[in-house]
Amino acid sequence: MARYYFDSGDRNDAVEDEIGIEYAGLEEARRAGLEGLKDLAKDSLQDLDGQQLFVEVRNENGDKILRLSLSLNVTPI
Amino acid sequence: MAPSEVLIRKLQRISSLREPDLAVLRGIPIHEKEFQANQDLVLEGDRPSHSFVLVDGLVGSTKYTGDGKRQITSFFVTGDIPDLHGLHLPVMDCTFSTLTPSRVGFMRHDSLRAICDQHPRIAAAFWRSTLIDAAIYREWVTNVGRRDAFTRIAHILCELIYRLRAVGRIDDHIADIPITQAALGDAVGLSTVHVNRTLQELRHKGLIETSGAQTRVQNWPNLVRAGDFNPTYLHNRDPEVVV
Repeated sequence: MARYYFDSGDRNDAVEDEIGIEYAGLEEARRAGLEGLKDLAKDSLQDLDGQQLFVEVRNENGDKILRLSLSLNVTPI
Repeated sequence: MAPSEVLIRKLQRISSLREPDLAVLRGIPIHEKEFQANQDLVLEGDRPSHSFVLVDGLVGSTKYTGDGKRQITSFFVTGDIPDLHGLHLPVMDCTFSTLTPSRVGFMRHDSLRAICDQHPRIAAAFWRSTLIDAAIYREWVTNVGRRDAFTRIAHILCELIYRLRAVGRIDDHIADIPITQAALGDAVGLSTVHVNRTLQELRHKGLIETSGAQTRVQNWPNLVRAGDFNPTYLHNRDPEVVV
């Protein structure tokens, strides 16, 4: 098991993870990050064209190892 | 405390019993057992011959989806009788598991039935206990279905603190909450990553403190507001003792 840290937020408004969560490996951490991003979108996606939500994963050394992001595009047609 | 005293205190919190009822309750044979955290006490599909009173610890009722995802559908604290409905519904429709190390007292259904037949005030108290359990389930459906993550987690922390305080497990509102992020996620229907994020938002607002796996409430009145928490659904007879 290794501890991973999941910073998440909306462009300039990020919540830094100071607790971390243990997972067996990067693949498990990636899946967890995706589930986190889906929950974040449900809570935080607003009617803002260009809004970008993200979850960024750090390892125990503090290195950023993965970024998952979603952006909203609202285009009149 | 003896398991029958734990049971009596619980029933006295929610109903009015008289001295002869208490003597009857003290005579119920209770078989005590210790469990580690994350052990199953009763399984979905079981046909139990006993119901249990939680003497100490924390228990969750849980359901699993077809693809194995766990939902914790309610918490139970000291004095609660989580599977009391098993007295009337022969096949258990959910699983009860310990969330922390727990002490549990098993009571035979036939002795409970005999007591209910002869002591209507005790039967009414048991009925009331299952009605309050149902009220808690209603609140949880509302919580999981309609509140955003921030309010939802604040609410469940409020409920847990309020209930632990009502049964004298904690002395004030500033208390460690004995539950992991993953279990909290299963109770509120959120991913562990989002629970983790939301706990840190609660912390930044000065409502809770976290250290390692432990969560500690810092500002009870503000947490109550943040959690949209109104304890009416817990139907405590002396709510002012708790708040």
